[in-house]
Amino acid sequence: MSDAQLYAPIPDSCFARLDFRPKLALVTTLTIVAFIWESPLLGGLLALVVALACLGAGINFRYLRAPILLLLPFGLLILVTQGFFADAVIRLRTGQAALTPVFVIPESVWLVGGAAMSVEGIAYGLNILAKMLTMALLVPLLVLTTDLDAMVLGMVKIRIPYKIAFVLASTLRFFPLLLSDIRAITEAQRLRGLALERMGPIRRARIYAQLAVPLILGVIVKSQMLEVMLQSKAFTGDPARTYLHEARLGPGDWAVLMLSALLLVTAVALYLAFGIGRFGGPL
Amino acid sequence: MSSRRTQRSLEAIAVLDRVSYVYPRSREPALSNISLQIGKGEFLGLIGPTGAGKTTFCLLLNGIVPQFYGGRFFGRVTVAGLDTLEHPISRLAHHVGLVFEDPETQITAVSVENEVAFALENLRVPREEMVVRISWALEAVGLRGTEKRHPHTLSGGQKQRLAIAAALALQPELLVLDEPTAQLDPEGSQAIFAIVRELNHALGLTVVMASHAAEELAEYADRLALLRGGELVQIGVPDEVYGDVERLRQNGVRAPQVAETFCLARSKGVPVLRIPVRIEDGLALLRNLPPRRPPAGGRAGEAHGVREIRLSEGGQLEGGTSPAVRISHAPGSAAEGVPAISVRDLHHVYPDGTHALKGISLDIHGGEYVLVVGQNGAGKSTLVKHFLALLRPSQGQVLVGDTDTRELVVSDLAHRIGYVAQNPDHQIFSATVEQEVGFALRNLGAGEGTVRAAVDESLAAMGLTSVRGQHPLALPRGDRARVVIAAILAMGPETIIFDEPTTGQDYLGARAILGISRTLHQQGKTIVVITHALHLMPGYAERVIVMREGAVILDAPIRQAYNDLDLLASTHLLPPQVVLLAQALGGKHPEWPLLTPEEVAARIAEGGGRRCGSESNARRSAGRCRNGSAER
Repeated sequence: MSDAQLYAPIPDSCFARLDFRPKLALVTTLTIVAFIWESPLLGGLLALVVALACLGAGINFRYLRAPILLLLPFGLLILVTQGFFADAVIRLRTGQAALTPVFVIPESVWLVGGAAMSVEGIAYGLNILAKMLTMALLVPLLVLTTDLDAMVLGMVKIRIPYKIAFVLASTLRFFPLLLSDIRAITEAQRLRGLALERMGPIRRARIYAQLAVPLILGVIVKSQMLEVMLQSKAFTGDPARTYLHEARLGPGDWAVLMLSALLLVTAVALYLAFGIGRFGGPL
Repeated sequence: MSSRRTQRSLEAIAVLDRVSYVYPRSREPALSNISLQIGKGEFLGLIGPTGAGKTTFCLLLNGIVPQFYGGRFFGRVTVAGLDTLEHPISRLAHHVGLVFEDPETQITAVSVENEVAFALENLRVPREEMVVRISWALEAVGLRGTEKRHPHTLSGGQKQRLAIAAALALQPELLVLDEPTAQLDPEGSQAIFAIVRELNHALGLTVVMASHAAEELAEYADRLALLRGGELVQIGVPDEVYGDVERLRQNGVRAPQVAETFCLARSKGVPVLRIPVRIEDGLALLRNLPPRRPPAGGRAGEAHGVREIRLSEGGQLEGGTSPAVRISHAPGSAAEGVPAISVRDLHHVYPDGTHALKGISLDIHGGEYVLVVGQNGAGKSTLVKHFLALLRPSQGQVLVGDTDTRELVVSDLAHRIGYVAQNPDHQIFSATVEQEVGFALRNLGAGEGTVRAAVDESLAAMGLTSVRGQHPLALPRGDRARVVIAAILAMGPETIIFDEPTTGQDYLGARAILGISRTLHQQGKTIVVITHALHLMPGYAERVIVMREGAVILDAPIRQAYNDLDLLASTHLLPPQVVLLAQALGGKHPEWPLLTPEEVAARIAEGGGRRCGSESNARRSAGRCRNGSAER
């Protein structure tokens, strides 16, 4: 990944142009909804909608691919474990006496012999996977469409102390620098004969652990330099400061705020009243 | 200039009175009993080797030392009449703007205008005034029109200009710059000096700049303060400080090449009354030297032999001085057989569409010492990454020996090509020097006996045996670089690539690393160095590859390459001053083109400049070259 890719420009889209506050409201709402819904169908649809929203907001697919790829092994693990071992939870939620088996492990197999993978278990696993995917995609939707200065301003407007807002934004700003350092170090290791591509996962993990020393050292040096630099720029964390830009809510921002509120209320109401979104519910 | 200096020195903007400072958990003082005044409108240069106290001095001026760091502080510092102990840093920030070395880590915002606004916001400047100040500051540094851009889309030089704009927006009376050009290419560096000088001249802004850029400081600074070990060794005008070449040498500081050259010439008996420290003074002195004997093979009409070299106000070459013949490197001439590295019609296009290399073809033979130069973005690193298989050709071919790098992974090449990165800390992973040096061999599957023998040999070669049990990161930077080199040597590569090895090093540190490269070369290794520091390379490199916009524009022996001034100028590379002097001397000398201060000094002396009258005079000149100084 090149430096240019590490510092992705804010896309020019309607969503990106929104104030940080409605974006945050929408992302919070979608997170809550994803958390509430246990239906794999609705959860999956929600994840799909969020993925499409990311693309619609102008985020390059390569930035979405990383969280998806990262989730893939965990997702498979969740599907297997839930498929086999989620019986108790599913029975409790659906009241079902028996689950529909898909596959039964022969009794002769030590320890797990007789365990059955169920349709309901897989569905429950898919529901968890959909939640994780939705939440993972909401992060780039918020972070990659908002410049950090606007983010700080937005957070201050919703009464998050300036110091905390600044620290959060600085952490995000440091992320590309950290990735750049990781890349430089792994590159240097490969140049010293380290054939990562030919290693097993355990050896590779041990090698990655060795990254910590130079990485932490680099972070310490950088953060100390940042601290000195902030001092020289009269940074005190005092919230009584002025801002170059104003954060004003336009009609579009208000519309998204209202839409978010409406979505949240509707989802909760449908869930409570009709069980829509409940595991084993109508949808 | 002297009247301006006198006028400005009447009123002080900063006064240091017997200042000593010791960092927390340190025994040695970082600054020791320093007293001086910085006049309003003055340009004060801070020079000295690494660890001299230059950065601490800079941080002292806005109260970060000692307010932020703590430690033990003695004496008194006042800036704009404010005691730096009694007033908070945020108050002092109104008066002192600070610019640091690393253009990356001093950026906090994600747009240029927000970066400039950051300190203003902290100081509660009203929005309307902020807009005016941002516009003015960006105009002053030539960055108008970039307001909405992400700072990381700017070049290194532009980022430093942005840092200056952010400091300027505070409308400080004092601008302090700590090694602002250390990580920049020549073009970026020149822009910074030009802007700082303009601010100093046009706005009367007081400037304090720590720098190793001797030629530029000689040109621009009103006074220089020489620090060593936290002590103020000498303070005076550049003619005094840089004219005292021997004292600089003793203190580990490089003099401008013009001063070094005339100091050597004086030691050879040439009557140089005052050592010039600026190139134009050196050229003028050459013209005024008594006539010399025509060199062997030279014509009588070249009695003076001084060619016209024109310099612009900023010391830039105005052209018309390149040698008539360009001598291109003849591929394959350095050695017979298969080249160590062979590049055939190499193109590389990055995923974002940048066409970084455009049809490069060259051979590097075993035992060569090759210098790769060019501006940032010229394609130097991209080219070298192909040698290491870190990048794959978009088109064309790279062969290491007779193997196509497409068939290899990076680790396959580790024992054939070693790579010393700009920042040695990124190449250190182990808990002890010994483990670090053996790291690669263990990766390559060598037995413990082989590893131990190779480690012992490499540590001895780099003089690191005594620190083999220490943590590499606990060693000084120069030693850390040697650890990395030792680790590479342990693999026994035939080719070693040094990427900007002198960045962040002082003169002695840079010389030490280049000395190692020369030793390795003498042992038969192929050496490739990427650097902007052209003045350091004569005596080391044999061949120069000049790159511009992804293409090789010159591939020639170093003497020819350094003397192709038009071509160097076309890619914003500045030849060392000594080359300008050599070209001014001109003539058809058998050793022309000259490349080092020693050669040019010998040429001047050989030219028959009136020799010093007495033996005692000659001895004095040989022993010490000084223009007089205000010693402390």
